[in-house]
Amino acid sequence: MEILKAENLSKTYGTGEARVEALKDVSFSMARGEFAAVVGASGSGKSTLLNCIGGLDTADSGRVFLNGKDIFDMGEDERTIFRRQSIGFVFQSFHLIPELNVEQNIIFPILLDYKKPDKDRVEEILEVLGLENRRRHLPGQLSGGQQQRVAIGRAMITRPILVLADEPTGNLDSQSSRDVMDLLCKAARHYQQTVLMITHNMNLTQSADRVFQVVDGRLGELGGGR
Amino acid sequence: MKHYLDLISISAKHHKAQTRMTRFCIVLAVFLVTVIFGMADMEMRSQLVQAVRTDGSWHAGFLVNEEQEALIGARPEVKQTARYESLNYRLKDHYQIEGEETVICGFDREFLDMYPDVDIVEGTFPQSEDEAVVNENIINRLELEIGEMISLKTPQGAQIDFRITGITKNTALMAEHDAFGIFLSMDGFFALNPESTEADQEAVCFVIFRPYCNIQKAIGEISSQLGLGEEQVRQNAKVLMLLFQSRDTYLMRFYFVAGVLAVLVVAAGVFMIAASMNSNIARRTEFFGMMRCLGAVRKQIVRFVRREALSWCKTAVPAGLLAGTVVVWLLCKMLRFLSPGLFEGLPVFGISYIGLAAGTVVGVITVLLAARSPAKQAAGVSPLAAVSGNARTVQAAKRAADTRFFKVDAALGIHHAMGSRRNFFLVTGSFAFSIILFLSFSTAVDFMHHAITPLRPSAPDIYAYSEDTSNKIPSRLVDELKNYPGVKRVFGRSYGELSAFAGEKEITLTVLSYDEQQFSWAEKSLIEGSLSEVISGKGLLLVYRSGSLLKMGSSVTLLPQTGRQQVSVSGVLSDVPYNYGTSKNTGIEEEMVICSEEMFEKLTGEQDYAVLDMQLQPDAGDAQVQQLRRAVEQACGREISFSDKRIGNREAKGAGYSMAVFLYGFLVVIAMIGFFNIMNCIAMSVSARMREYGAMRAVGMEVRQLARMIWGETLTYTVCGTVFGCAVGLPLNRAFFRSLVTSRWGDAWTLPGWEFLVIVAVMSVSVCLAAAGPVRRIRQMTVVETIGR
Repeated sequence: MEILKAENLSKTYGTGEARVEALKDVSFSMARGEFAAVVGASGSGKSTLLNCIGGLDTADSGRVFLNGKDIFDMGEDERTIFRRQSIGFVFQSFHLIPELNVEQNIIFPILLDYKKPDKDRVEEILEVLGLENRRRHLPGQLSGGQQQRVAIGRAMITRPILVLADEPTGNLDSQSSRDVMDLLCKAARHYQQTVLMITHNMNLTQSADRVFQVVDGRLGELGGGR
Repeated sequence: MKHYLDLISISAKHHKAQTRMTRFCIVLAVFLVTVIFGMADMEMRSQLVQAVRTDGSWHAGFLVNEEQEALIGARPEVKQTARYESLNYRLKDHYQIEGEETVICGFDREFLDMYPDVDIVEGTFPQSEDEAVVNENIINRLELEIGEMISLKTPQGAQIDFRITGITKNTALMAEHDAFGIFLSMDGFFALNPESTEADQEAVCFVIFRPYCNIQKAIGEISSQLGLGEEQVRQNAKVLMLLFQSRDTYLMRFYFVAGVLAVLVVAAGVFMIAASMNSNIARRTEFFGMMRCLGAVRKQIVRFVRREALSWCKTAVPAGLLAGTVVVWLLCKMLRFLSPGLFEGLPVFGISYIGLAAGTVVGVITVLLAARSPAKQAAGVSPLAAVSGNARTVQAAKRAADTRFFKVDAALGIHHAMGSRRNFFLVTGSFAFSIILFLSFSTAVDFMHHAITPLRPSAPDIYAYSEDTSNKIPSRLVDELKNYPGVKRVFGRSYGELSAFAGEKEITLTVLSYDEQQFSWAEKSLIEGSLSEVISGKGLLLVYRSGSLLKMGSSVTLLPQTGRQQVSVSGVLSDVPYNYGTSKNTGIEEEMVICSEEMFEKLTGEQDYAVLDMQLQPDAGDAQVQQLRRAVEQACGREISFSDKRIGNREAKGAGYSMAVFLYGFLVVIAMIGFFNIMNCIAMSVSARMREYGAMRAVGMEVRQLARMIWGETLTYTVCGTVFGCAVGLPLNRAFFRSLVTSRWGDAWTLPGWEFLVIVAVMSVSVCLAAAGPVRRIRQMTVVETIGR
């Protein structure tokens, strides 16, 4: 079942000599539960692609359909609400809320909907992340790997159909990187979430079902990682 | 780049926007301190100018003989002495010229330097015993000239002739009483009484002490050395107060209040700078961690932060000083415009060294002190935290936000405000200081209203009156004099004493008549009833007096010669601007009522006036006054007395203006500082958390939720700042009020309602604007931009 579909995405930054074509006519699609990795040199347009797909940024042309809905057709507020309910984000530098503890950070998207989180679901996520004993800790009291696990928990709590991860292991040691990759795989395999991950590390693409490469703003598929 | 500290200027060039707010905060704090100290300095100077004009520039006066005067003059701390003595000062001792009571003053030439008001406008100071300087009243009314002779009749019946050598202006007192005054040399003065004893040869020796000398100590030493009693020593209280040389208990209390206010102003400045520095350094911990990572030792980081802070001072402190000085100039300019004659001594581009020094000290010292703690904080950043990026994402939070009682957006806003104790204390402290300062300074406005009697709109510049209060001034003069050049308004009052019955009791009523203009002025003092019945000639207006037999609605049976008449009191005035309340026959305080001119005529058959008030155009001069005087004298003869209140009015107006301009100026500056402070603090806090807001938006926070979060933070600061400000400000307001007002005038302290409303309104407007600005900015930015900042 097709969950994500990008059609002819193009994005340009700057003008004149400073003009950079970050995305050139990018089209691809992903099915439910699929895990894809995007590789490419620094500045090739990987992050721009992720930001456009996640609705953090807009493309100059082209469309992005998520679960059949064109996210560029939505207004700013509608897109924001759609994002927090349907897309989970994992960033390289975690971007946790320093004033919220582990549990609060994980349930943050639900709190933004002014809803009460499902306790069993929270417990399940904490268990999967291995953070049951750290639930009251603040981000500042956690290691980098633990912080990234919290960020993954936050991305999974609303059961989003798509998880976007931008260099999720970029700041982590090898053990923590392995843990994070396991969790992302679990999200795809166990929870049937579609995962699109950006990475520099070709070794990490081995866990992915598909591997894309971005070169000078053009997207090509390298095949299956596994 | 030759030194690692050169990075400061390079970094400053690239991060101008980042440090703009901190620099703005320093400018504001320096501006606040410079303006307030500068304004206080200028106010002191303007009050000194006025005090010297009205009371002279002398510091102390000693009643001594010539020998003792020489001893005083020889003291090292004494700069100048001058003897002075007067006769017939109260115009009751029968020293007369051409039948007019005359004040006689004898003084040394140096006395002229001490009293600018007694300036010889024409001619010279008397050289011999038979020479005299006379005032303008004598010259104008007796039509004399310099060189002519004048004859003084003493109470003993002797006639003493003097040759006029010069003319002085009328002093305020002489003008008001329309008095003649002659000024003699000390020898001439003593020669007036040929059979004088040693005591009669004593005169007041006025002294000006040298600058920076302890005047009270010197007065004490002189008194004990010469064995002078308290009654032989006088002090120029106003001038000494303005030179901070008074030991009067009330003034000491006044100094104390001024001192506390000065400390509060400085503290407000310190708070502002410290809060902004703290926030600025806190958001750059990553940068400092990076420097540590590259090998900078803690000491170098501390030095870097301190030097950077000083580099901000290089531009911010002069900018604050300049802005403050310009505001002080504008205020001085305003004073000179409002009262040009009185404040001509005030410099247009005066430099207040006290203001500049206070501003500089507060700017530089506070910046250095405020930089200490963030510098240590910056030096303590671990290099590992910096390179891992953790320093950026995990700043400040020591405990989790409480999401149980508030929605997550509001809870985070509150936590942003209260999360860091130091930041919370500094920001709410600086908010609170605005309120404390406002509430404290507002007491000075109450003090001003009591200390300086405002000039009523009805106050005449000159007036003619019959001393026995009989109605001798023809009412037609009103219409006649109105057409004279320089006249703005003319209005008269008739005066009568009538027997009346208040119920069963017979009383004597003082009755005054008002015209329409005077009724319109009286409206402000109306505390009960209305004026319409009185104006239409059907009722009486009672002047309030405690223990009065009459009250609103009382029926009074008047017993004039024209026949019994029943009238009721249809309005009550709190007071009237003159004292007519005692009977000319018995001297006992009487009930006073006011009626229309028609009614007065009906009751007494009289339509002329006992008093004729004249208000003049600002450009009217002495020539116009003399013209009016002649017109009145022509119509009424010499039985009518004349009073010139122009000098007194000008002084009252000037004192009121200067104090009002400075005090309200203070309040405006404080309110303005509160306003900018809130705006700056919120803008700084928001820009420090921009990345965090970006992350929140990325995971699905809407802009309105973000706005609610910023509102939560802003309101937390404001509510806590207001509570803290009121908790400290109100007791201070009460203490200052009791010290300055209750102790002197007996008024009870009440909650400062309007002051509180004004400052809360200012804070509320600032909060709305402070929160709206950043929210608008965030709304215009994309999430990627926000997160990338």
